[in-house]
Amino acid sequence: MIFPTSDEDVLVRISDRNPSRELLDGVAGADCTVVEVGSTGFPAVEPLVSVTRGERTTFHAQCSPEEIQEFVALADDSSRADTAAVVEHDPETTTFPAPELFGLDTGVRRVLGGCGWRRPTHPDDHEAAGGFASVASEAVASLARQLRGRGWGDWRHDQRLIDAWRPAMEADSAAVVVNAHGTTADTLLLSSVPFEVLEGANAAARAVGADRIVVYTADNDAALTVNEAAENYPNPCASVDVVGGPSEYRAAEPTMALEAIEGNHRIEARLRPPGPEVSGLHGDPTLVHTARTFAQLAVAVRDGFAESRLVTVTGDVAVPATVEVPESDTIETALDAVDIDGEFKAACVGGRFGGITTELDIDVAPDTLANADLGTEGTVRIITEDQCVVAFIGNKTQFAADENCGRCVPCREGTTQLANQLRAIYDGDYDSDGIEELVRVMDLSSICAFGKQAGRPTRTAMAAFESEFAAHADGRCPAGSCFDRNFAVS
Amino acid sequence: MSSQRHENTDVPPLTESIAPGTATDPPIGSDEPSTLTVDGTTVTVSASATLIDAIEAVETEDTVPALCHYDRQDIGPRSECRTCMVETDEHGVVPACSFPATDGLEVETAADDAALARDVNLDLVLSDHNLRCTTCGKNGRCELQDAAIENEVEEPRYGVLDDRDAYEPMDDSSSFIQIDRNKCILCNRCVEACNDVQVEGVLRMEGQGQDTRIGFQSEAETMADSTCVSCGHCVTVCPTGALVEKGIEDATTIPLPGFTQKNSIGEAYEQSEQTDGPMTPKKRAEATNEHNDSERSSSHRTDGENDDGGSWP
Ligand code: SF4
Ligand code: SF4
Ligand code: SF4
Ligand code: FES
Repeated sequence: MIFPTSDEDVLVRISDRNPSRELLDGVAGADCTVVEVGSTGFPAVEPLVSVTRGERTTFHAQCSPEEIQEFVALADDSSRADTAAVVEHDPETTTFPAPELFGLDTGVRRVLGGCGWRRPTHPDDHEAAGGFASVASEAVASLARQLRGRGWGDWRHDQRLIDAWRPAMEADSAAVVVNAHGTTADTLLLSSVPFEVLEGANAAARAVGADRIVVYTADNDAALTVNEAAENYPNPCASVDVVGGPSEYRAAEPTMALEAIEGNHRIEARLRPPGPEVSGLHGDPTLVHTARTFAQLAVAVRDGFAESRLVTVTGDVAVPATVEVPESDTIETALDAVDIDGEFKAACVGGRFGGITTELDIDVAPDTLANADLGTEGTVRIITEDQCVVAFIGNKTQFAADENCGRCVPCREGTTQLANQLRAIYDGDYDSDGIEELVRVMDLSSICAFGKQAGRPTRTAMAAFESEFAAHADGRCPAGSCFDRNFAVS
Repeated sequence: MSSQRHENTDVPPLTESIAPGTATDPPIGSDEPSTLTVDGTTVTVSASATLIDAIEAVETEDTVPALCHYDRQDIGPRSECRTCMVETDEHGVVPACSFPATDGLEVETAADDAALARDVNLDLVLSDHNLRCTTCGKNGRCELQDAAIENEVEEPRYGVLDDRDAYEPMDDSSSFIQIDRNKCILCNRCVEACNDVQVEGVLRMEGQGQDTRIGFQSEAETMADSTCVSCGHCVTVCPTGALVEKGIEDATTIPLPGFTQKNSIGEAYEQSEQTDGPMTPKKRAEATNEHNDSERSSSHRTDGENDDGGSWP
């Protein structure tokens, strides 16, 4: 890890997904060390320039190439409170010392600790944070008994990992797939703290005796970063390949991820059971977990088991943000990190096909979310008062009808009929029993999670916004957006 | 047409280049026979059996249509129609055609959720089906018709595909096989017959959502332009009137003057040239190495969690 060596020594970190050349050039020639670190998860403040001198770091949000030189020179001057925040910290901290500004201090920073602080592809930064320590496989397996899979791209979504590890442990050949397709949080981890993800994957590979790790993502930049980190990884226990996948939403489904990795030109789900834990990549037992799951595993190996959840807040907000929330905290906690554009009306909790709720005083623990018929995917989409909930779920349903893989009837035909049923409401025909029946069958009989979840926005919105549905059947849109588009604004 | 391979079509099958567009499903089933109960009756099935084998062996309480199930020639299970759902004590509601039979499992056909799922899914199949049985070449020998009759479908919940604008043109271009995709249930049997049994690599599954369809690996638009050798295997396995042998396409239709299977859709790709043999022009070209690969292009609505796009309603 790189630290300032003396009180005179100045260390400048530039935190951004893709810092511009100009910004780096802007500080060229200054008497300081400049390093690029990844995103903090808060694009609103980036590029974020932090200037560390001894035990003090000054942060400058949205720093321009013109400003950077001045900021570095003024590192001692904390009077510039408009753009800067100052934090006193242990000079050798390996965790981002979050200032109390910009919402950056929302939640905790365990898994996200290195984001915006450690250099993503430098192994010594990760090592300084306690990384690459050797751990007994039994200890890893025992954590797999407690840890649950994160996100729909995880074959053990919401379930303890261990049961899906046993066939691999008994097989001669097994594989580990890091499914980082699709969510902002997974992409953030690959880009900012790839070693956390790779360390988790290595620990799992060692524990089950897998000989290869495949990192799967649709994000080009993240792929390059994790690839570089993989090349710098000291003593990996398995080969690491980074494979790019198609950007379609469905390509994150665990078996579709395998299809994409194997190179199929058309991406559809595989039948199950048995699942990938028995017959996965090229027929071998395969662990398929998200980048979030593996990073949690790596941090748990190092710091002990303490569950937290990565939550990305998006939708009607000024700029989306990704934060880490302890499971005992509520969804509301995550909202501190964003500026809502308007008046809060509802949220779609749990990804693309999450549940619609007006109630955010709910723990982010998976069981609590499931009881409230909300999703654990990690994305919370804010809906403001000016938005129509019926139109919101209508768009989701049409998306599901357009984007499913086409394999099974309840999903392929079900989503189309559900969209028809929702359109019929606009003609005064609101058949809530029929809709509930269809959504139930989609959930009961679809092959994969896409079809099982596709009806959740509708099901939950009907419960939370009954009167809006009834109003539409009467030819009225309370948000003023659905009928007579031309006159709605007057 | 004959179901024999034609000896004069001397083109080596290229297994490697076959791209059926479907997922590589896992092998199913255990190595040993198992004994389970179906609606209270004990039954023993052989190794690698699925629940449908047990269900077919006994008198069940409810009918299980199992529309896309095909138990011959290693075709399937595609397990796509989901009209075979049954309740199990251990795993909840599962598809009988592809769920491995295991010792001690208790299967119930009449459980509410399973019965509802079968019923709704059968209606969903019909919702996307051009139900013009009277002008269909498979009238009276159609597995979908049988399933609908046996399940006493009177009025399917979601109607039937009845919008002429939404119909795909009939492919009447080949001298041997007529394709009416409006009657296809996407069971994938023809694709497997063509690729896995005949190893011809002509047919594939393509598209997504409502655009999912049976197409040609050569990117051809019509059967005549495809690399088909007219072995007829696909027609043999097709459960519906989607693939019919030319010459008998009107064999079972009700004789209404001027109303035929071919004009029932309104639009058809006509046969453009009389072919001399069972090989299509494309297949002949391929045999002389003139076949060109073309690029597939696609545009999709992408990304994990951002806008769903669209402009509802
Ligand atoms: S549920 Fe949808 S996405 Fe999944 S296999 Fe069925 S059609 Fe494909
Ligand atoms: S498409 Fe042609 S080659 Fe393939 S099974 Fe059918 S008749 Fe045979
Ligand atoms: S054409 Fe026939 S065999 Fe082929 S998928 Fe359609 S219904 Fe099945
Ligand atoms: S028969 Fe089982 S899904 Fe079609």
